Amino acid sequence: MANVDKLHDELLGAWEETYKKGQLTLWIFLALKEGPKYVSGLQESIQRFSRGTISAEDQSLYRTLRKFYHLKMVDFSAGKGHKGPDRKYYHLTPLGESLLHSFVERNILLFFEEPLRELLLNSSTTK
Amino acid sequence: MKIISRNLLLFAFLLFVYTLLFRFGLGQLLTAELWIWVIIISVLYGGMIFFTAWTTGKRDGMENFLFDAGFRWNLTTFLVWGIASEAWFLLELHSAYESIRVVHITLLIWSGFLLLHFILFLILRRRTIKGVHKTDIFE
Repeated sequence: MANVDKLHDELLGAWEETYKKGQLTLWIFLALKEGPKYVSGLQESIQRFSRGTISAEDQSLYRTLRKFYHLKMVDFSAGKGHKGPDRKYYHLTPLGESLLHSFVERNILLFFEEPLRELLLNSSTTK
Repeated sequence: MKIISRNLLLFAFLLFVYTLLFRFGLGQLLTAELWIWVIIISVLYGGMIFFTAWTTGKRDGMENFLFDAGFRWNLTTFLVWGIASEAWFLLELHSAYESIRVVHITLLIWSGFLLLHFILFLILRRRTIKGVHKTDIFE
């Protein structure tokens, strides 16, 4: 039994590792959809939304945001820092909003429709 | 996103220093007819360039998301090596065993490969959006 549990945990870990790849964008966009945020605030929102399953390093987030800014998906404005210098508060541009809308409509909302919704609910209650 | 980034400039500077040191060492060893050491110093020079290009290029990839298929590094190596080598001969710092013809032939062959690399870059650039590779946009 212990061996089966170990295999289960190993497989789940491997699956989640693969599943999480490519998800950071969605979490960033959802966090920014909630409202403009600076990098630390963005990290907190992502952790909160994902119930701690997704975390992003500072450097990774800065790099991603610079890239999104270059591609005009996000923009920023200077805002007051807690104590130190001004912070960059990032927000979605109309292009970013439109991308999030299209992506969610095509890839996420189907999970809320039957029969997938029912199947997902059944999967979460049986083990 | 910078074409001439800090990492590229660092690579160019180190390459320039390596090339001057290599040219100096090569001239001394050729004059002394220490042929084994000529091979050793050449391999060492090549290895140092490769290692420096690898580390600065990797760091640049983490800080800068501009897709160039390594072309900026190849072009920089071509220019720095060419300028340093030409200057070495123009200032008559070379040994009696060295000929500027070798530098010219190397640059000629290299420019052919550089052109091929540029064509490859242009082909691969079709897979980018505003200079960022499509597979590198979303994480």
